[in-house]
Amino acid sequence: MATVKLTNVKKVYDKNVVAVQDFNLDIADQEFVVFVGPSGCGKSTTLRMIAGLEDISEGTVEIDGVVVNDLEPRDRDIAMVFQNYALYPHLTVFENIAFPLRLKKVNNDVVYEKVTQVADILDITDYLMRKPRALSGGQRQRVAIGRAMVRDAKVLLMDEPLSNLDAKLRNQMRAEIILLRKRINSTFIYVTHDQTEAMTLGDRIVIMKDGFIQQVGTPEEVFDMPVNLFVAGFIGAPQMNFYKTELVREGDDYYVTPFGTKMKVSDKKAEGLRERGVESQSIVLGVRPEHITQGTPGAEDSFTATIVVNEMMGSEFHLHTKCPDEDESECIVRIPTLKLDHEQRAALAAGNEINIAFGGEAMHLFDPATERNLLADYGSSEEPAGEYDYSDVSSEEPYPEDIING
Amino acid sequence: MADKITDQELRYLHYNKPMRLLFSIANFFTSLPKKLLNLIFAIGRAFKSLGLAIANECIDIVTTFINGDWKTKLSFIIMGFGSIARGQILRGILFLLFEIVFVVYTALWGVTWIAKLTLKNLTPTTTQMVTTTVAGIDMEVETTIYGDNTLQILIYGVLSILFVFCFIYTWRLNVRQNKEAEAILASGKKLKSGKDDLKSLVDDQFHKTVLALPVLGIVIFTVIPILLMIMIAFTNYDFNHTPPVNMFEWVGWTNFNQLFTWGNGTSTFSATFGELLSWTLIWAFFATFTNYFLGMLVAMMINKKGIKLKKLWRGILVLTIAIPQFISLLYVSKMFSDEGLVNRFLINNGVVSTAIPFWTDPTMARVMVILVNIWVGVPYLMLITTGVLMNIPSDLYESARIDGANPVQQYFKITLPYMFFVTGPYLLTSFTGNMNNFNVIYLLTGGAPYTLSDSAGKTDLLITWLYRLTVTNNDYKTAAVIGIMVFVVVAVISLIVYNVLPSMKNEEDFQ
Amino acid sequence: MKKASSIHRNRILSNTAIYIILVVMSIVWLIPFVFILLQSFRTENTWMVGYVIPQQWGIDNYINLFTQTSFLQWYKNTLIIAGCNAVLQTFMVTMMAYALSRLRFKGRKFLMNAMLVLGMFPGFLTMIILYYILKSMGLTQEGAVPGLILVNFASSGMGYYVFKGFLDTIPKSLDEAARVDGATRFQVMRKIILPLSKPIMIYTILTAFMAPWADYIFASYIAFGTSSGYNVAVGLYSWLTKDMINSNYTLFCAGGVCIAIPITILFMCLQKYYVEGVTGGAVKG
Repeated sequence: MATVKLTNVKKVYDKNVVAVQDFNLDIADQEFVVFVGPSGCGKSTTLRMIAGLEDISEGTVEIDGVVVNDLEPRDRDIAMVFQNYALYPHLTVFENIAFPLRLKKVNNDVVYEKVTQVADILDITDYLMRKPRALSGGQRQRVAIGRAMVRDAKVLLMDEPLSNLDAKLRNQMRAEIILLRKRINSTFIYVTHDQTEAMTLGDRIVIMKDGFIQQVGTPEEVFDMPVNLFVAGFIGAPQMNFYKTELVREGDDYYVTPFGTKMKVSDKKAEGLRERGVESQSIVLGVRPEHITQGTPGAEDSFTATIVVNEMMGSEFHLHTKCPDEDESECIVRIPTLKLDHEQRAALAAGNEINIAFGGEAMHLFDPATERNLLADYGSSEEPAGEYDYSDVSSEEPYPEDIING
Repeated sequence: MADKITDQELRYLHYNKPMRLLFSIANFFTSLPKKLLNLIFAIGRAFKSLGLAIANECIDIVTTFINGDWKTKLSFIIMGFGSIARGQILRGILFLLFEIVFVVYTALWGVTWIAKLTLKNLTPTTTQMVTTTVAGIDMEVETTIYGDNTLQILIYGVLSILFVFCFIYTWRLNVRQNKEAEAILASGKKLKSGKDDLKSLVDDQFHKTVLALPVLGIVIFTVIPILLMIMIAFTNYDFNHTPPVNMFEWVGWTNFNQLFTWGNGTSTFSATFGELLSWTLIWAFFATFTNYFLGMLVAMMINKKGIKLKKLWRGILVLTIAIPQFISLLYVSKMFSDEGLVNRFLINNGVVSTAIPFWTDPTMARVMVILVNIWVGVPYLMLITTGVLMNIPSDLYESARIDGANPVQQYFKITLPYMFFVTGPYLLTSFTGNMNNFNVIYLLTGGAPYTLSDSAGKTDLLITWLYRLTVTNNDYKTAAVIGIMVFVVVAVISLIVYNVLPSMKNEEDFQ
Repeated sequence: MKKASSIHRNRILSNTAIYIILVVMSIVWLIPFVFILLQSFRTENTWMVGYVIPQQWGIDNYINLFTQTSFLQWYKNTLIIAGCNAVLQTFMVTMMAYALSRLRFKGRKFLMNAMLVLGMFPGFLTMIILYYILKSMGLTQEGAVPGLILVNFASSGMGYYVFKGFLDTIPKSLDEAARVDGATRFQVMRKIILPLSKPIMIYTILTAFMAPWADYIFASYIAFGTSSGYNVAVGLYSWLTKDMINSNYTLFCAGGVCIAIPITILFMCLQKYYVEGVTGGAVKG
């Protein structure tokens, strides 16, 4: 029903605190876009600017081609679901859902029709006479969603709608939102700090940090080709392992050399490096825990690490290991438990050693100075991250260790 | 990320209790000069930014005139012209109307009032023999011909000046509106119509609608009167100079000088003021803290596990809040008077031979006043502290008990700090409120015994003295001076407490 | 086993002590009111005496109160003032508190600081000026009732603290949700926030209604010397002056009872709201 376009949007609070900067994004009709990032990254502020609850300091927000900067929230044809549900305590569930319609002075029969229909979809018909305080967290969430649905608004905004629910309910509601999305024609903008939610819900994910967009892309894109260290560290759990090491070019081939090994970069990646004319240089090597394989002891492309902690997660082990360098860098390894026999499991106990290899395809190569992915495409118009000034923001912290990971 | 812990802070953690206290006190005093300096700088900065703001306004006005079109330029003389010419009829008419009213008022009356504000060369009130004809017979009748009324001049003069300021502000608003309208038109947008303006009054300008009446009321019935009273402190307005028959005039700082001239003996005005000020502070201290701690004690007794009939005990105390204070206070006052119930009962039964001077002996009167205030205030404080006490998370007590704290330690380590933190702001308002606690003193003793100069009594607070000076003595100038001094004292105490108490600072913390 | 019983004994001992204190306290707190009540039925004389239980019981004082004195007039005056106060003051306080708590606008901080500073000036500093203003409008002496109402309610916006403290506890997201749902700020107030403010509204009405019954200072100044403009506080006070007290003491007691009983009943009915308001107000500052 509606496109949303943000052009050079900027938010500055009174005390010269910049919350959002250089925000450019085109959201297609009926798209489901997720803003994700650590707390304080400006994702909620951006959403609230689209809603009209915050003034826009610079730039424009367009809904369906109309600049809405100066419009009141009620004139923007949007609906919103709040983190704490924001149900009106003095109104029944029915009147809560009917509230937007009552304000528009919709005919009583129509109100009844629409509210019962929405309640039916959300399975809350039994609670229509109750007050919000008599509902459980999940039911309140449904009412809040119902109130947003009943309006048939062009754009549906959701501000961390699931973060007040317990883990089990959260999974259930997540699935329901996916189903819901198929039933309504609105454009969805969803804010969360949880990368799992972002990955599972979004058509596209917008990853933000310190008020800047870091990367925009489909879940696959941001997982497979994170454009910089931050995105690489933020997406995926447990977090990607990072090591400072050297990239060595030998003719057409590239090797990385962590912990005195020599591991070959896959041919496909090497091709990309060749095209960009990359020579030997220092790099930050990133490998996801789930992509780490157990190597052959003594082989040149593997190293031996000591297991410090073994976390049994049920379907898999998370091994925290100590790598053989002077910093004793940590390497987290995920090993599925399904095919391991008793002996093999025992071998993974804390204190034992494990041989670790990084597969060539699993390697992510970042420039230590700019923190960018050596293989990512920059400069295309679709990629606002290209305007990100890396020199002054995060060069002090080469490893994104203190990222709050959803 | 949090700031790194400093060496100084680490050293503090190493100290034992008395050392910590010393350390805090030393810290307070060593930081005092810095704080004062900061204050001076802040005031300087405020003046600087005020000056800059005025300069900017002037520059903006001039550039608006230079860059503006003819509509804007004409609006500099005829307010609202630009708005009307650009189709914002409602705004324009309001501006124009205001200008017309202002010009007419100022020309006809305003100038005269302001000119007379010097309070010099006025027409005095005289009596003349006037010939009148009553029932066909000519009679000489003594008639008073009123001259200028200085109080009226003061009021109208100040109002006229305020009106001028109002006009300047509105004129500035009018100029800015023109500039903004031009900018909006230049960017190709439409101006707000009168209907939009009215609509915005229930929406984005809703605060104006909501605040209009309350703020207007406060300005007329509080701000302007206070302003006038401050001015009266600089006149000789008293029973010898009461308009309309007599006139008062400006006397400069004379009234304030009285306060600071320590003459011989204790019967001077400044001595009386000092005595009453110290009694006011003592009274406020005892009235606040006796009630606070006794109220807390009662609340804790009623709340104690195993005490039955909690509702009844609480209900009895709450009942006493409901009965209007003036009844209970007047009754108690008479009960303990020389011919009152208590004294008569004691004399009749031969316990004492002469009446106990509950209200006539200065020391006893002061103690009585504080005791009766406990009787009045404890139920109220019991309610407040009950609420706060119940809000103290019980896990604090549980963990303290596991850590081995006995009930007394629990009280001093958990209850009291928590109470102080939460009720800190209340204690401050209660302290300043008690400084101005008119009812208890006035209805109990009326300030008696009156043994001090300037008709002040031993139990008088500054505020009751102020009242008596106004009502009984008609000594308005002195009343005004005392009022200002009370303000100064309250402001200083509040400032200090605000800077010391942590829970005072963040209003938004509660949101 | 022995230890347990000693703890038990200690508890009984301390509880007994507390009960004794509470009983004594209740007596001390209630006794003056019992005395007033008893003395209002005393008919053998009208002055202060050294005993409490009347020697001759009767309702003469009450009959005199309503037939011989202006008490009914004063009562009516006070009732009018209290009623108007309850409505007008609540209106002003609600407006002020609402704006300061729920709306964000330029000058909000300034306004709050200004009111804080204004509040530091003693209340009756401005008495003469207000008297002059009221007098020029004809609202003193006989016109004291409307005059008092006007003065009481005009500046009452300054007493917004407790109300604002309550409003501050209502989540901001309710306003935002309502605005996204299509409400103007006025509708947010009328449909969402005010319905939620019922308890504090009742508290405000109750305190505004009760205050005039004890208002002596300003009332006596404005109504000066004109009995028809008195409220109950001024009227009853005038009976206890040196030369009046001997003939009016029991009348005073009867009058006090007539005032205290309806107000106490009203108060006890709305006690819950009062307690909430007082506690909340103290905590929120």
